[in-house]
Formats: sequence, C-alpha cells, structure tokens
Amino acid sequence: MWDRRDPERLEQRIRVERDGSITALSGKIEFGQGIRTAFAQIVADELDVPIERVNVVLGDTDQVPFDFGTFGSHSVAQETPLLRKAAAFARHQLIDRASAKLGVPAEKLDTDAGVVVGGGKRVPYAELLDSEPLAGTIPDRVALMPEKRRRYAGRPMPHVEARAIVTGRATFVADVRLPGMARGAMVRPPLRGAKLRSLDDSAARTMPGVIAVVRQGDVVGVVAERDEQARAAVGAVVAEWHAIPVDGPTAEVPMQSDADVDARLRGASVRLAQTYVLPPIASAPIGPSAAVADVRGYGATMYVGTQRPFGVREQIAKILGLPEKKVRVLPQITSGTYGRNSAADAAIEAAILSKGSGRPVLVQWTREEEFAWSPSRPEAVLEISAGVAADGRIAAWRYDEHTNVHTAAGLDPQVLVVTSGRNAVPPYAGFPAKVTLHIEPTRLRTANFRSLAAAENVFAIESFMDELAALSQQDPIAFRLRHTDDDRLRRVVERVAERSGFGERPGGRRGRGIACTVYHGTYVAQVAEVEVSLSGAVRLLKVWCVVDPGQTLNPEGVRNQIEGGIQQSASWTLKEELLHRDGRVMNTGWDTYPIATFRDAPDSIEVFVEGDEAAPPTGVGEPGAVPTAAAIANAVYAACGARMRSVPLTRERVRKAMAG
Amino acid sequence: MKLELAVNGERHAVDVPPNTTLLSVLRDDLNLTGTRYGCGRGQCGACYVIADGRAVASCLLTADQAARMEITTVEGLADGATLHPVQQAFVDEDAMQCGYCTSGMVISAAALLRRDPNPDETSIRDALAGNLCRCGVYGRAIRAVMKAASPS
Repeated sequence: MWDRRDPERLEQRIRVERDGSITALSGKIEFGQGIRTAFAQIVADELDVPIERVNVVLGDTDQVPFDFGTFGSHSVAQETPLLRKAAAFARHQLIDRASAKLGVPAEKLDTDAGVVVGGGKRVPYAELLDSEPLAGTIPDRVALMPEKRRRYAGRPMPHVEARAIVTGRATFVADVRLPGMARGAMVRPPLRGAKLRSLDDSAARTMPGVIAVVRQGDVVGVVAERDEQARAAVGAVVAEWHAIPVDGPTAEVPMQSDADVDARLRGASVRLAQTYVLPPIASAPIGPSAAVADVRGYGATMYVGTQRPFGVREQIAKILGLPEKKVRVLPQITSGTYGRNSAADAAIEAAILSKGSGRPVLVQWTREEEFAWSPSRPEAVLEISAGVAADGRIAAWRYDEHTNVHTAAGLDPQVLVVTSGRNAVPPYAGFPAKVTLHIEPTRLRTANFRSLAAAENVFAIESFMDELAALSQQDPIAFRLRHTDDDRLRRVVERVAERSGFGERPGGRRGRGIACTVYHGTYVAQVAEVEVSLSGAVRLLKVWCVVDPGQTLNPEGVRNQIEGGIQQSASWTLKEELLHRDGRVMNTGWDTYPIATFRDAPDSIEVFVEGDEAAPPTGVGEPGAVPTAAAIANAVYAACGARMRSVPLTRERVRKAMAG
Repeated sequence: MKLELAVNGERHAVDVPPNTTLLSVLRDDLNLTGTRYGCGRGQCGACYVIADGRAVASCLLTADQAARMEITTVEGLADGATLHPVQQAFVDEDAMQCGYCTSGMVISAAALLRRDPNPDETSIRDALAGNLCRCGVYGRAIRAVMKAASPS
C-alpha cells in the first residue's frame, strides 16, 4: 500500500475511465453529510465534465490513498483542495496528450464537456488513454479552472444518490447480499469486559439452520442460515461469565491558566457561580450497527459502515492474523451514526464469525443491542464562576469541566484538550481565564459523539453568558459583542439578531434565546423561540441560524446539515437521557429512549448560509448542533423566567424551576 | 411453511419457518432490501410497507398474515422510470441525509396521499409521526409531502 508520507499522486485520486467517465478517489466517508456530492461537484468543474459522469469512490482500501479517518466535520475542508488540484492536473495532462495527438499547441486547446477542442479539432478524453492511464505526482501549484467556468460548486444540489435512496435501491451495509451469505448473532455478556468462564453450545448446535457456534476469546456467536435462527440459537447457548464493572480512566488537564483570575473574581462588583449538568446520551442511529465479513483462506473482504476504513483494516487484520494487505475494507453507505461508527464492533464480530464458519456472514445488531452495547456521549458537569466589573465587562472567568473520556483516542493531554475539552475555552476576549478539564471515571462505554464535548461546553458557556448579562442588566447580544474582537463572530451574532427580529418580544408564554459559537473555524449563531405551557412543557417553535463556514461549495448541502444538527440537538436538549448502572444501559428501545418525532419538529428552521468567501471552507456536519441547547434554555428563561441548568428540559423539571 | 405473497403487483412463492416476519421475507427471501430494519418493535417506521392501502410495520406482521394482503414496498412505488410524486418531491427538496429512514417516510406519505390527497401540515405530521429520523430532516420531509400533494 501507499505510504502515508508520500506526496499525493494523480493515479490515487483521479482515473479517467475508458468509457469517458471519471472516477474520483478519497479515503473520506459519506454518512449523510453530503461529501460525495461536494466531491463530485469540484471534480466535474475542474475536469469540465457533466456531474453525472463523475463516480466518487470513498474509502475502498484497495483503491484509495491512506486516510486517517473522517472526523470533526473536516472532510470537505481537507479534501476539497486536494481533489480540485488533482482534477485540474488531470485536465492539463489530457490537454497535453491531445496536443501531441492532434498536432495543435496546448495553448490553443480547451475543454468542453469531456472533450478537448481547439484548432478546429476535437478529441474525447476517453480517446486519450491509449498509451497509459494518467499518472504522476500532483504539483504544489496547478492552474485551476477560472471561477466563472465552474458549473456546479457553489450551487445548490441534491444528494447525488438521492434517487437510489427514495427508490430503496441504495445498498446500506445490512443490504449487502453475497452468495452463500449466512447470518450471525452474538452471545452477549452481562457487562462489557466480562470474561467467559464456560460455554455449553450443545443444544444450540442442533437447532434449525445453525451452521456453527464460534468462539474466539471472550467473543461468542452463532452463525445460521437465517437471522431468526441465529437469534433463537443464541438463546440456547449456556454461557457463564466472570463480570466486573470496568471503570474508565481519570485525568486532569489545565487548558488555560491566566494569572490573577482568583484575585479579580474577588474584586468584581458582580459575581456569579453556576453549575450546568448534561446526562449521557446515545448516538441512537436509526439503522443499528451492521457488517458483512467474507473471510477466506487468502484474505478477507469487509463491507462495513465506518469513518476510518484503514483503521478497521488494521484491526481486522490483527484479529484474523492476516497481513493488512490481505484485508480489503469496502465502506458501504450507512445509517448516520454521529460518531458512533468510530468503533468497529460489528465488523470485528462478523470477521470472527466468518472465519469460524467458513461462510460470508452478516451481523446486524438488534435495537436492544444498539442501546446496550454502543458507546455513548458521556455526562458532563460544568462549573463556571465569573465576575463583572463596574464598567460592565467580564473581569475574570473560571471554568471547570467534569466529564468522561469523550473519545477512544486515549489520554494524551494534547488529545484530551481537543476532544473531551473541545470548546471549553470560551470564544470571548478581554479577561483572564482559568479553564480546567477533569476527566472523571465512568462505567459507561463512551466514545466520539457529534461535536465531541462542544455541545456540552457551549450549553454551559452560552447559558452563563445570558445569566451574567441579566445579572449585570445588559442586553444579551450587546454583552456578547462587547467581549469579542472577532469580526466573523460579531457578524453572525448581529445577522441572526436581525434575521430573527430578536428585539421584538413574542407575546404570551413565548420567549426567544440566543447562543453562538466558533466550532473548528465555523461561526454559528442561533436564535430559538419556544412556548412554555403552565405545566412546564416546552415546545420549540422556530429556530433561526446564521452560519459562516468560509468559502461555500454547496449552500443547500450546508443548510441541510445545519438544519439536521439543530433538529438533533433540540432532541438531545428536550428529550434525551441515557440511564445506566455499572455500565449497563437500561434504555432498550425508542419507548424508553424517546427522540424527537415529526410532531416535535419546530414550525421552521431557517438557516442563512453567509460564508466569508475569503476564508477557507470549514466543516458543517457538527457546528449546527452546538449552540442549540443554550439557545433553547435561554428562550425558556425569556418565556417563563425559569433558568434551566440541567437538560433534558422535561416538563417536570421545567415546572419545578418555574415554581422555584 | 410454504406461502404465496403478493408484493408490488407480483406473486412470490416462499418457504420460510413459521412466525417469520414479513420484514425478514422481504429482505432475505425476496431481496427487497429497501424496507429496512430499525427496531423490530414497530417503534421507528424504517420497515413500513403499504399493506392493503395502509402503512404498517413489516416487522410486526408475520409472512402468514401478509399472505392475505396486497403489499407495496418502496421498490414498488415508482412507475418504471417515473418516480412516485412523493419520491420526486423528496429528491427535489433534498429531504434526506443518511437516507436510512427515507423508505419508511416515503411509504407513510404515499399511503397518506392515497387516502387524503390534500392533507394539511398537522395531518402530515400525524401520518409520519411513526417515522423516526435521527439526522433531523423532518422540516424538509414535511415540505416534500406538501409539494407532492399539490405539485406546482
């Protein structure tokens, strides 16, 4: 395989096929954030072909260059310039070849919809491949297509796979069907990390359809012809386990340690200290984890939903005892998983069952398994103290974030700061701050979750900013603006206030709240309008959002992502809480873990994409979800005077806060 | 047990164990994988099909029960290359992200429009209330169904 330190090569990025279609290659993964469409747009533009002729291959480890993974909304930002350069370089090579073939100087040649034209002659791209495929090191500087000739980038476009999705023909992981494929189901321990003491599979082996009962270490599963048969046989396996709850690790990481914080806090004319609490929540994908493994003597092919195909390849190779190059990982389209897919659980299980049974095996988790065994967003307790000086400015800020490890990336303090500590440092300026991240143990299995800890931290920080503004009798927008010298943050806050008519107070039991953030270079400000009933029920009515993700390729894709982030975050904020004991999750289905439904959707979510075209493109998959909780909580306060410092904002909790 | 099912206007003979769900027969015997597994308890809507005109959870029907019904799956909605108006509206409104729940939504909306060609927004929300979406495309899906109901 290609070494990850090699310079980028054209043949790893762009292939012009014999039928004139273009294959674009990337290690990034599509999971609903629209990157396949975005990549097709730039490649079609730079190679001057209709977008229908561009086929984007994502994550096939036998075809694409090494990629660390698709995390943190960075996919478009990192890959766009690379693919653009590669496609432009390919076009230059095609023109050079046409020049030699037609005997026309390259300067006199141009392209038009997949054909090189000039000097009264024309030759389709496909006829320029006789000798050998396009190849070569992509130079640092490549002349790009002038902006006015770009037909697709910057224009609204539906998903390129939309038609396959609405007709049901899109192949998700669990839809892969291979000849001879069997179904697998796992025998689950009482707690994660349990050790298998003994196993009696004699009854299970004789059940209808059962092909094999497979054990590797503490992993046990049944392979059968049908899913129901595998699950029935799992019930007949008698396993004894040695189960001890597993405690997560601890750590303490200073993130910002300015001088004088404590002294300034003591000297401030107005002081406030508050604590905000968010429970653990589930990624809760609508499609549970699934994987297909086809393990043969000569190697393994894995059909998986993953954000890091090369990471899965490494893991599977190790588990099967194969060299990495004998494992091919073929990422399939997958249910949105919002970070959960960073753990390749089903892939490992399918690989073990396929190896043990000699059959290709599909493992698809049940809904109960998804809640019980998936990693979750950890809980967070956020303590903030701040003082406001006589001039109305923040004098000092102390912030203590207590959470669990938010990622599988380990305990390196530098990693923790950008994962578990993400957005713990406020986006405001002009005061000294002390910010400390405390990783506390949990028995819950936690992992990467959409926006990592930013949604939790921003709920606390933006709620607290409103509280500070109210306590020092300042307007919440003016108070935020006087603490920033960042023009882009200022602009999204001012714009969302304008767009929403923030100054006009809605009547009755309605209220509006604002919150903003800077998430990995993307600026977002939101206003939420809610209605709170006398009994404390919160209904989200409207959300306005202004987002600045820098240069914008596909504004419609940005809107869709941001809307989705807001809707999902509203569900976290109003409904969701994972209950667990000793690491065992008690929620088993959508009845015990309700999420927002069509009836809960707000009347409108208006997203205004106002990217700074001079700034590089930044991600939009996560930032939309980040300020929503605080915007809603601030709106609840405006509506009924109840300051909510814990979520979810259940009726009972809001009612108590209104009474208190 | 041997059964004959009427799916998307065709008759299919299958031989499956007793109590096999319609969902399992569609996905594993008829290779109609557009109907998706989400929860197995009728709580998420990912596996909805139209059975005798109504949107129902195929994970809660046995194949035996379904054999007495006319079943339409998401694969059977389009008329050749022409998408069902609901499907076309979902494409036009980009009313999807990951797309896993889309089949079920499209089925619920198609069943709704069959019995009420001009639903108001509340009726749409009610008709699709059983279809959970985690990516958060509810607003777009409502717009899509309204558009399908009154094509401009």
